[in-house]
Amino acid sequence: MTRIPQWMMSARVLAGLSVAALICLAALFAPLLAPHDPNEQTLTSILLPPAWLPGGQADFPLGTDSLGRCVLSRLLYGGRIAMTVALLSSFGAMVLGAVLAHVAGYFGGAVDWFIGRVVDIWMSFPPVILALIFMVGLGPGLRNVILSIILVDWTRFCRVLRSEVLIVTRRDYVTAARLLGFSHWRIIAHEIAPATTPLLITLASLEMGIAVIVEAILSFVGLSVTADTPAWGQMIADARLSIYQSSWNLVFPVLAIFVTVFAFNILGDGLRRTLDVRLAEAQRA
Amino acid sequence: MSLLVARDLSVSASIGGETLPVLQSLCFSLAPGKILGLVGESGAGKSMLGLTIAQMLPPGFACSSGSLSFGGEDLIAMPAVKRRALLGRDIAFIPQEPLSALNPVLTIGQQIGEHLARLGLATAAERKARALALFDSVHLPQGEQLLDRYPHQISGGMCQRVLIAMAFAGKPRLVIADEPTTALDVTIQARIVRLIVDMQKRNHTAVVFITHDLRLATHICDDILVLYAGRPVEYGPARRLFSAPAHPYTRCLQLASPSMRGERRALLALPERMPGLRAWKDLRGCAFAPRCPVAIAGCSQAPPALEETAPGHRAACIRSAETGGIVAPPPTAVAPAGEHQPVLQAQRLCKTFAIGGLFRRMRFSALRDVSFELRRNEFLGIVGESGSGKTTLARLLVGLETPSQGRIRFATEVSDTRRQRRSEIQLVFQDPQSALNPRRRVGTIVTQSLEAEGTATPAARAERARELLREIGLAPEMAARFPAQLSGGQKQRVNIARALCASPKILVADEIVSGLDVSVQAQLLDLLIALRRQRPFSMIFISHDLSVVRYLCDRVLVMYRGEIVESGATGEVFAAPKHPYTRALLAAMPPDDPSAAWAPALFESAAGSAP
Repeated sequence: MTRIPQWMMSARVLAGLSVAALICLAALFAPLLAPHDPNEQTLTSILLPPAWLPGGQADFPLGTDSLGRCVLSRLLYGGRIAMTVALLSSFGAMVLGAVLAHVAGYFGGAVDWFIGRVVDIWMSFPPVILALIFMVGLGPGLRNVILSIILVDWTRFCRVLRSEVLIVTRRDYVTAARLLGFSHWRIIAHEIAPATTPLLITLASLEMGIAVIVEAILSFVGLSVTADTPAWGQMIADARLSIYQSSWNLVFPVLAIFVTVFAFNILGDGLRRTLDVRLAEAQRA
Repeated sequence: MSLLVARDLSVSASIGGETLPVLQSLCFSLAPGKILGLVGESGAGKSMLGLTIAQMLPPGFACSSGSLSFGGEDLIAMPAVKRRALLGRDIAFIPQEPLSALNPVLTIGQQIGEHLARLGLATAAERKARALALFDSVHLPQGEQLLDRYPHQISGGMCQRVLIAMAFAGKPRLVIADEPTTALDVTIQARIVRLIVDMQKRNHTAVVFITHDLRLATHICDDILVLYAGRPVEYGPARRLFSAPAHPYTRCLQLASPSMRGERRALLALPERMPGLRAWKDLRGCAFAPRCPVAIAGCSQAPPALEETAPGHRAACIRSAETGGIVAPPPTAVAPAGEHQPVLQAQRLCKTFAIGGLFRRMRFSALRDVSFELRRNEFLGIVGESGSGKTTLARLLVGLETPSQGRIRFATEVSDTRRQRRSEIQLVFQDPQSALNPRRRVGTIVTQSLEAEGTATPAARAERARELLREIGLAPEMAARFPAQLSGGQKQRVNIARALCASPKILVADEIVSGLDVSVQAQLLDLLIALRRQRPFSMIFISHDLSVVRYLCDRVLVMYRGEIVESGATGEVFAAPKHPYTRALLAAMPPDDPSAAWAPALFESAAGSAP
């Protein structure tokens, strides 16, 4: 099959994917792209505006913060944290949520009831508070940020996927596979999972946006990575103190979060439109 | 004076930049108080007429030429406001799916009240009185209570009666009934048809009755128009058209459906199937020529004109004179009937389901005391309407459910694991769409049972797939296709092949031909007979269609509300039914002879109980 898959043709997917890829590349090559060390303090030139404004210096393209650190460099390095968290935590939440959703939807009965109640209880906590509680318990660090987002957000996958699994499980071809004597795990892996994968991918891309926001919130309140690692939320927190002297310091990290989340959201929406089983099947019929 | 006249009415669709003909040169006239039958297979364009009248054609579809006049006024050119005034008052519709035609969140009373208000009944008291009178006219009992019910609380047959009452409420001059009975049970079907005809006679309404069932149309219609690939192929008085068809397609339709009386004759299974909409544009000659048994070279040269073959009877065929010569193939020797040795015995099977929540638990008995045996190489039919427990029985037999009481014994002792049952009994599913994984190729689907064994090499699997496809009459190249690329009939063949792959001794077929067109149905029935000759196996064939069971099965069980009420050799049971329910089922079938009287039971009057 040399045909370009349909999802690649969607403008939303292409736009979302290319912006996300650009951010990823920028984060990956931060050491090469950044003009300064992100933690290097130039106390002689603090709160500089961007270079194109009066008083700006070409040396600091996006200006400096209250400690004289280069905003552009900090943004690029902060992107590494944001993207790592986005990719790994959404992947982890996807795996955990999907496994439980398939188990619940396929076996039904008491297993389904139990998993459903756990999800209910889990989702009754405000998600950010729950993440904060985990961070307090686990201590700061990138690994723990990822872990706490996984532990909070798997329920999104579980709840949505479970109903999809229920629908697919009722299809006759799943019954046919049971009659032929396949094992349960094989039926889930070969008959059901391929049908739920498009939804899974869509949810994962939306989850990446959510993970970026949650990480920003955690680092805003100082419960994410340690202070010597630049993160977007931290930058916002720092800029908050000098907001009247230099509003630019606030604008750039907020813009970075906005663009990243927006890219993931339109990617997710584009994927949903092109990959959604029900929409695709309705078109084919 | 005709009420509805179509002159060269054509509808075309523009899809993906192409203009495709959907309906071509439709001509008919319908007088007040008459019924016109529009007969054709699915996809022939039957429903387009109703949609054209309502101007509800799908996007891209438009009436391209010709005229359609209603009471002397042109329906196509008419301004939308004027048409809206006609619809619902002078022109009413009876839909195919009664449940989806009613709004689930409004009560029956609200919906009928809204309709009556539009018809000009100002006060609520007037509307209620009128609604009750209408319910009475369609024999709906307990009208007062019905007004407060929601559509899901009443049966499909009752919903359809409500819709019939609404359609006839405004004393319309024309009613369009688009397959009004396909979603309903056989006995309800017959009653609904009888009801529509009664209402039509009482109100002197003209009716366009759209159906795929030529025999049914013959019994109730005055005139019939047969459509094939969007073209009218034959038009004439119903009885004449049935007894002396002038187009080979009409004749083949007749010969493709099994009869209920007389000797069991073989079916005429047309090859292939009707071309799809996209191919119609490229058909140079007669659309039916590629499948026609009497086609000559001239047939595919130019499209035949609709010409009169007898007064009032027209057919679009240059070989019209040859039509009478088309006969069904000679009856094939039926494979030796079942031996006496039983391969499966059901002993006093009961199945009870618990329904409802924590506080109001109810028990529903789906099967009660069902005992029967299936003999080696026997085809056993099970008939009954929905809710009679047929599907529950099938699920019990293959091991998808466990019986609440009683047991199932196989000739060879098998344990209850599915792995062991695999080579003993297999199920063929009703809905081929849902039974085939859309993400697998046909070749892997049919050999799934080898996959389950886990011993076959890919090469052996491919070989087995080719072998199975040949056996079920599909080209070996089909193995590389996805189910979405197959037609309904082909999907059902793949479905059968998958069940056969494990070489089971017993096949359980649950309504496997019910959703298919008659010509495809005939192909599948003949396939089952051919398979039976090649490799002996026993089959339990579940169907609501008695004629199909009569054609295929040696013995039959009649089920009613979870119990077997009658059983015996198929011919005997259908020739001399003993149980009243069997008699009711048989009476619901329109007889083969178009001039024979057919009067299915009417719904019991308001005092009686609902079916």
